[in-house]
Amino acid sequence: MAEIKDRASAATAVREAVYKSCMYKDDMNWEKWLNLCDDDFSYAITAYSPEIQRNMTYLSGNREDMRTMMEMLPKHNSDHSPLKRHCSVYEVEVDEENKTATAVSSVLVYQTMLDGVNCHVDSGESKVFLVGRYCDKFRVNEDDVKFIEREVQLDTRRLDKGSHYPI
Amino acid sequence: MAKSRNHAEWNAPPPFKADEYVDSRIYSDEGIFEEELEKIFKKAWIPVCHESELAKAYDFRTVTIAREPVILVRGKDMQVRAFLNVCPHRGNMIERRPSGTFLDGSPSGNPRHMTCMFHAWQFDMKGRCVYISRQEEGYQDRLKKSQVGLRELKCEVYFGGFIWVCLDDDIGMDVKEWSAGALECLQPSLDEEPLEIFHYHKAIIPCNYKLWHDTNCEFYHDYLHYHNRITGFNDGYFARKNMGFDNGHINVGSFEVQYDNYEGFDSRAAISFPHLPPNHWYMIDMFPGVNFNLRGSSLRCDLMTPLGPDKVMIEFRGLGLKSDDEATRRHRIEHHNSIWGPFGRNLHEDLLAVTGQGVSMDAQAEPRKILHGRHENETIHDENGMRHFYEEWGRWMNRSPSDPTKPFSEPSKAESKSKEEALA
Ligand code: FES
Ligand SMILES: [Fe+2]
Repeated sequence: MAEIKDRASAATAVREAVYKSCMYKDDMNWEKWLNLCDDDFSYAITAYSPEIQRNMTYLSGNREDMRTMMEMLPKHNSDHSPLKRHCSVYEVEVDEENKTATAVSSVLVYQTMLDGVNCHVDSGESKVFLVGRYCDKFRVNEDDVKFIEREVQLDTRRLDKGSHYPI
Repeated sequence: MAKSRNHAEWNAPPPFKADEYVDSRIYSDEGIFEEELEKIFKKAWIPVCHESELAKAYDFRTVTIAREPVILVRGKDMQVRAFLNVCPHRGNMIERRPSGTFLDGSPSGNPRHMTCMFHAWQFDMKGRCVYISRQEEGYQDRLKKSQVGLRELKCEVYFGGFIWVCLDDDIGMDVKEWSAGALECLQPSLDEEPLEIFHYHKAIIPCNYKLWHDTNCEFYHDYLHYHNRITGFNDGYFARKNMGFDNGHINVGSFEVQYDNYEGFDSRAAISFPHLPPNHWYMIDMFPGVNFNLRGSSLRCDLMTPLGPDKVMIEFRGLGLKSDDEATRRHRIEHHNSIWGPFGRNLHEDLLAVTGQGVSMDAQAEPRKILHGRHENETIHDENGMRHFYEEWGRWMNRSPSDPTKPFSEPSKAESKSKEEALA
C-alpha cells in the first residue's frame, strides 16, 4: 500500500477506491468490494421522487447486511444479466486534518441481457439500467482510504424487474 | 407412469373442470385486451394514488386509467376532485407534470388555476372554466364558460386515505359497496390514524396485467422465494384462508410471520400497524388489478395499469403512519424495501416469474392451458382466489376464461350442463 502523506495523495487514493469499487462490483467480487469498506460502513440506494415529492430509500444496510445479502445470492432466483458501471469522479474533498474525505461521482449502469427475458432473443443486448450518482465518504488512514458511506442517488425510478445486485 | 406428451396430448384439456384453468389467449389477445379496457377498467373503482401525495390545498397529481389522462386536485376546501386531464378546447393534456401545486402561476396562466398552456384557457379547482382568452372577440355570445367546464369523474377517498376514481358515472355504488367486505380485515388498522406514503417506484413488464394479479392472488409460489421457503411452512401458515368476495375481490387471512427464521431480518412487532397483532400479514386483491399487502409494519399497494395485452405498468407504493418519528419511519422503510423494494429480495423474483410467463404467451404463440386447479380447503396454497377472479372476469367480459371464444356461463349452469352432457 502506498503511504498517504498529504491531502493530495489522499485524494488520489479516494479516486482509486471509487474506481476499484466499480471494478470489483462489475466482477461481482463482493468480498473485494467489502474489503474497501470499513467496519462501520453504511450503504444506501436513494432517489427523489417527483411523483410523490419525497426522498426515498430503496435499499440500505451496514457492512454485515451487505455481506449477508451477497452470501444469500445463490439461494435467490435472480436476473443474472451482468451490470457494468461507468463512473466518473467529479469532485473529491479531503478535510483539513487529512482524516476524512468525500467524493461525488456520476454513475451509469449498463445491463447486458443474459437470462432476464427471452435469452434466445435478447441475451447479449446491452442497455442502460440506471442513472445516478455515488456520494461517498471515506476514512483516511496512514496507508489507505476506506469507504465509510456510499449513497447511490438514483435518477431512475422506473426500475422494471429491479435487481438483487448492489449498485 | 409419468411421461412426456405429444402435440395432441399437450393440447388436450386438462383433467380439470372448466373453471380450473384458463386459455392463454386471455393474456395475449389484442381484441380481448381492448375489450377489457372498455368493459372492466372504464367501469371499476381504481385507487389511483394516496391522499398524502396531494396533501395541501391546490396540490395535484396526474394518472391514467384505461388510456384516459386523469388529474386529481385538492381544492381550497381540502376536497380532492378528479377530472379528465383534457382541455375542452382542442384536446391538449392540461397538466403534464406528475405532481405539484397550482399555487404558483404558470407561463400561460394565473396562480390557483389549472391552465392549458396551448391557448391559455383556465379552470378552477372545481373544474369550472373561469377564463377563455379573447372570448368575446372569437365566440361572441355563442360559447359560455359554463359550457366548457372540465369533465368531472367520480372520486372518493376511502380505506386509509386512498383516492379512488371511476370513469363510469353510472357505476351505481360507492367504494364501500364496491369492495363488498374485502377491505374490512384491514380497515381498523388503516383507518385508525392518517397514513403517509414513503415509497414509489414503477415497473413496466412485458406481460399481461392479470399475470401480476394472479401472482398476488396465489401463495403456492412460496417456492419461488427463498425467504418464504424457509420461514417454516407450519400449521398456522397452511391454515390461512383465501376468501372470495363479490365483484371479484379476494383476501388472504393473517398469520404470524416468524422473522427469527429470516436471515438478516428483525421482527416487525414493535412497529406493527394499529390493531394488527404483532408480525401479522394480510393481503387483499381487488378486482381488476390492485393489491394491498400489510406485512406488520408497512403497507404495500400495487396498482396495475394495463398498457397492452403483453405490457403492464405496475406502480409500487409503500406507506407508514403519518405520526411516525424519524427512527420508526426508517425502520418501516427498511422492512418494506428489504423484501418489496426494487432491490428487495422477493419483488425481483416475482417480476422475473411473470416476465417468463409473458415470454411463453406471445400473441402469436399457440394457446396454452394455464392451470389453477389446486383445492386445499380454500387455504393458502389453494388456487380458489384465482378461480374467483376469473369467474368475475368471465361475467364482465361475457367470455369463458377457459375458452374465450365462447360466452360466459354462470358456474351453476355450466356445471349442470356438463352433467347433462355426461348423462346424454
Ligand atoms: S387546447 Fe387548451 S386552450 Fe386550446
Ligand atoms: Fe411473491
